[in-house]
Amino acid sequence: MRRVVVLAASAVAVTGLAACVLLLPGDGAPGGAGAAQAGGAARAAAPGPADPLTTEEIRRAAALATAGMRSHLAAGRAQLLYVERDDAKDGEGARRAEAYVYDYARDELTVRTVDLGQGRVVREVTDRGVQPPPSRQEEAHAAELLLRDPRFGDGVRSAYRRAAGRELGSAADLALRGLIHSAPRGACARHRCLRLFVRLPDGTFLDTSRIVVDLSAKKVHTLEW
Amino acid sequence: MFLRLALAAFVAAASHASPAVTIAAPAAAACAAPYLIDKTLPNGARWQMCWEMRTIEGLTLRKVVYTPRGGSPTSVLRSAALAQIHVPYDSGEPRYHDIGSLGEAAFALTSGDCPGGERRAEKVCVLDRARGHAHLKDGYGDPAERRSRQGRELVVLAAYQVGWYTYVSEFVFGDDGSITPRLGATGSLAGTVTTPRHGWPIGVGHRHFEESHSHNVFWRMDFDVHGDARDVVEQYDFSGDRTKKRTMRRTPFTRETRAVNQRMRWWRVVDPRALNADRHPMSWEINNSDSAEYRGPADEAFTRADLYVTQYRACERLATQNPSPRCRRSVDKYAGRERLTDPVLWVNVGFHHVARDEDADPMPIHWQGFRITPRDVTAKNPTP
Ligand SMILES: [Cu+2]
Repeated sequence: MRRVVVLAASAVAVTGLAACVLLLPGDGAPGGAGAAQAGGAARAAAPGPADPLTTEEIRRAAALATAGMRSHLAAGRAQLLYVERDDAKDGEGARRAEAYVYDYARDELTVRTVDLGQGRVVREVTDRGVQPPPSRQEEAHAAELLLRDPRFGDGVRSAYRRAAGRELGSAADLALRGLIHSAPRGACARHRCLRLFVRLPDGTFLDTSRIVVDLSAKKVHTLEW
Repeated sequence: MFLRLALAAFVAAASHASPAVTIAAPAAAACAAPYLIDKTLPNGARWQMCWEMRTIEGLTLRKVVYTPRGGSPTSVLRSAALAQIHVPYDSGEPRYHDIGSLGEAAFALTSGDCPGGERRAEKVCVLDRARGHAHLKDGYGDPAERRSRQGRELVVLAAYQVGWYTYVSEFVFGDDGSITPRLGATGSLAGTVTTPRHGWPIGVGHRHFEESHSHNVFWRMDFDVHGDARDVVEQYDFSGDRTKKRTMRRTPFTRETRAVNQRMRWWRVVDPRALNADRHPMSWEINNSDSAEYRGPADEAFTRADLYVTQYRACERLATQNPSPRCRRSVDKYAGRERLTDPVLWVNVGFHHVARDEDADPMPIHWQGFRITPRDVTAKNPTP
């Protein structure tokens, strides 16, 4: 992995990690694609049973699902990943939303099902070792950890400088996509680990094929093969 | 007034056996604009469905109803969506599971991406296009006996940017009742260098060997053939090897199954009590003959079958890296020994991608998919 070697070549001072932005009902709440698309435009009628969740329904579901855990969210210990319409057959016809919450300290996923008609959480299921796809916010967080990493941070910055002709301001300047990396053994057997695709402004990608960002341990691992 | 897709086909169909019975007036409405797709193709075939851009699965079609010309609406699918794109590289590593949050990876389409079609909420394209000959038959000199018609198809598509790859997910609904889910890969090659044993030289000379890899694409198809009850999955084989005769063998799946492709093998989902005018049960045939049939190591047992039939469970959403807590993790584990009363089909289609010089940026799209064909949904060709 040539470029990884390049990235790893210089170790540097760790920059402060911006406090993990907390998204709660309000602008930019993790909506899922469906929400943004509803656009709120001219939807006079109430949503039909097979309509996606509206932006408003997602906000309400997020608020109901995270009530009572604001401190964990604020501390960055847990995160609301996204809200997805509950597609279960037994609840067909009801407006139900599932809020995915990940607790990085306990490495637990909790899915809370909110019945929007009743305005309350009707089901809660928690499990370990379950890794739903990363959220947008997690992708950004993983990039911040990569930039903060003494082995890779400077390499990313200099690759960005070469590609863009200017300094990297923050992780927000990078075009990111994350995938879950799980492994039968090692840290990523239990932790929430992401592979990151990082696109630079000149259209090239960093070679991140052997880099895994561990959001639970707040560390960057290098894969051996 | 929004156009609303009638659930009538689902509700009413379950209560009677013959499609000849007229479906009652529209019952509960399932979805409204912009999520309703209701298209009558020029030959009179009508497709109705709802779409949703789900955060995890991306483009998901729900409540798919087919109405042949002059016929009654009949439900086909409760839902259809991608369930994983597994991308193992030939040297053994890396091995990606490309379903991240597909809904977040979907990007806005331009009018050029959706020629002559209609863009819904920017990221979904609904269009119809030519599909070539619907049929063609000489009249032996009699123009009145000559038969020729050009077919059309409805396409619902979305595109996802997943790293360097762009995936185009299409669901194609023909005016002959056929359904073709397919995934196209375009964008850029990964640029992963390997040894000559695991790659192909691209660019000048023999310096850069681009690593070969597979795209093992899984679809989750929850059929509701003519109502939501009584769906049965059958497998058809035709025995006879290096002989003149072929003998049909039908295997009904009463329990969950991991089935593999065989020459001439196909499957169908049938409602034994929903009869067409010829008193043949209505069914939808599944043909998965275009797969590279990748078989991975023991810890990737989900690659070891081409069609999984599982009893419906709401928590079983993806074929691998299933996101639901307290649920099994992959489709090979879903397919246990449970009795089937509400079958869900998971179709695994592999494509082995050996890069070539022509794959230089932007990479020409390569497609993989499978076919669903109506079998005895109508008693005759609905548009002769
Ligand atoms: Cu490929």
